[in-house]
Amino acid sequence: MIRHPLPMLPWPWLVAVLLVATVALTLASVAIGYAPLNLGAAIAGAWSGRDSMDALVLVQLRLPRALLGAFMGFSLGVSGAALQGLLRNPLAEPGVIGVSGAAAFGAVCVFYFGFAGAFALALPLGGMVGALVATLLLFRMAGASRSPTGLILAGVAINALAGAFTALALNLSPNPYAALEIVFWLMGSLADRSMAQFLLAAPLMVLGWIALLASARNLEALALGEDTAASLGVNLQRLRLQLVLGSALAVGSAVSVTGAVGFVGLVAPHLMRPLVGHRPGRLLLVSGFAGAMIVLCADMAVRLLPVQPELKLGVMTALVGAPFLISMLQGRRRA
Amino acid sequence: MRGGLARTCIRGGGLGLAAVAAGVGLASVAVAAAPPQRPQRIVSVNLCTDELALRLARPGTVASVSYLSRRPDTSNVVAEAAAIPVNYGLVEDVVSFRPDLVLAGLYTTRNTVTLLRALAVPVVEIDTPPSIDGVRQQIRDVGALLDGAERAEAQIKAFDARLPRVDPHAPRPRAVVVRASGFTTGPGTLLNDILTRAGIDNLAAAGPLAGQAQPPLEAVIQARPDMLILTDEEGEAPALAGEVLVHPALKALAKHARVVTLPARLWTCSGPGVAEAVARLALAADDWRAAHRAGAAANQASLRPESALPGSAPP
Repeated sequence: MIRHPLPMLPWPWLVAVLLVATVALTLASVAIGYAPLNLGAAIAGAWSGRDSMDALVLVQLRLPRALLGAFMGFSLGVSGAALQGLLRNPLAEPGVIGVSGAAAFGAVCVFYFGFAGAFALALPLGGMVGALVATLLLFRMAGASRSPTGLILAGVAINALAGAFTALALNLSPNPYAALEIVFWLMGSLADRSMAQFLLAAPLMVLGWIALLASARNLEALALGEDTAASLGVNLQRLRLQLVLGSALAVGSAVSVTGAVGFVGLVAPHLMRPLVGHRPGRLLLVSGFAGAMIVLCADMAVRLLPVQPELKLGVMTALVGAPFLISMLQGRRRA
Repeated sequence: MRGGLARTCIRGGGLGLAAVAAGVGLASVAVAAAPPQRPQRIVSVNLCTDELALRLARPGTVASVSYLSRRPDTSNVVAEAAAIPVNYGLVEDVVSFRPDLVLAGLYTTRNTVTLLRALAVPVVEIDTPPSIDGVRQQIRDVGALLDGAERAEAQIKAFDARLPRVDPHAPRPRAVVVRASGFTTGPGTLLNDILTRAGIDNLAAAGPLAGQAQPPLEAVIQARPDMLILTDEEGEAPALAGEVLVHPALKALAKHARVVTLPARLWTCSGPGVAEAVARLALAADDWRAAHRAGAAANQASLRPESALPGSAPP
């Protein structure tokens, strides 16, 4: 595909560079905000347990926002790479194919009908069930066909259905504000999220990552074709289940606290693919880092732009991601 | 502009009938068909006009009020509305009561108002009051309209009696209002006037938050308010809008600022609720002053040994 391959960094170096860059962007995200924050005083205050206003802003607002951005972006990136490997289709992406939308619907059902108060994990569980149902549905509808357009069409249908059900659920809520909150669920935002929400979703996201990253070796075998993979000793049924459950865990729990943010899982693996020699197994981890960096940059951009109230995160990623998707579709048509 | 925009956007979605925005008074509103001198079958399609009609019209002349007047979380006249049939602000609904006067808000049920005018039903549109003087004026105007001038004067008298007297020279706490979805309240709104009359400075009127309809929580905390006024909606079904009011950051801010909750129904419509809101906030401001004085005295006591210069004679 690429005639003059880029001079490739050795794999461990690539991972190290991306890790350092992600951590740096997370710190930059903590440093950026709406009001000047004396970071030194804030850290000192937070460290010594003194409840100064600076420490309060740092611990209760800046830190959860940055961490949630990094974790959510990683989840979307790694899930995008995994779904692309599973469906052997470079257009598979949680947002485009409706997995994020369905996760949002699941979370909306739990939240607005009052189940979120029943037990703490209800909200991320709702998101995960939504994501799982959508992935299974998609697999049935488009898993067998090799055509990328078939997958996109199935995704469009699932996305439309999830969006319609989300709107319906929000309209049925007796709370007058609910109907306006559809923008959050369909576009996503990290504004004024709390540490409690991060701590609720983060362990589930990490579990999802582990399931997905553990499939790297088998995913490389699958790239050679299902028969070849089976002959190499890969249990295809188990691999599919692992990938579907892993992305449902990662995407479902992320979306349940941030709303659906599109295109991250499409752009991240695409940017990383040449850097790992198009190996779907190695693509997983680096796509996670790339996804985290994309979301962190988008979230810093919405705070730095002089637009108040701030833009939704999904607006930012769609502005970059949608033209990207169009160019990919055009490229495929010409090929 | 910003208060109006924020509120119509928010309220327009679900509450439907609850017109809430600042603007012009009754006098400037056009009336197509002339209202009768002594209306007999009054229909109100707006939460604020419900309250005015139920308090000011002659008993037995209110034919119907909006369904919102029966919701205890939004309405101040639940008891008065209990025996009166409700409407949902739809034309068919309203016409079925054969009204000789319809009271509507200025920002809601717009299609209903247009169609009722086309049917030559007298409609009077009433804005929400922009200030406490506006509340008095509105009670007087609507009283005259509904053949209840004496009731209106009695209401205004009771209203003024309930308004607390605030020492204009007392120190004023600096406050931020945080409403559902993180909206605040700016100058030119009734809530801002309520704060001012209660002896409180609004940081979103003139201060670090001026010009922001929906300031991020971070900006709210960095504005270092003395007082945080949360206008919670009691007994609402869950929505993200309410999450900001229980955000851990605001809870932690309670260690630095006095937190007061003020239900939206007290500062939305013309009525005794407004005086109640001023009284509650004035009380909270008094508490703050007492704590402020105690804190200043303690500070001074702790500073005294250091401020004394070496060798200087004790007083």
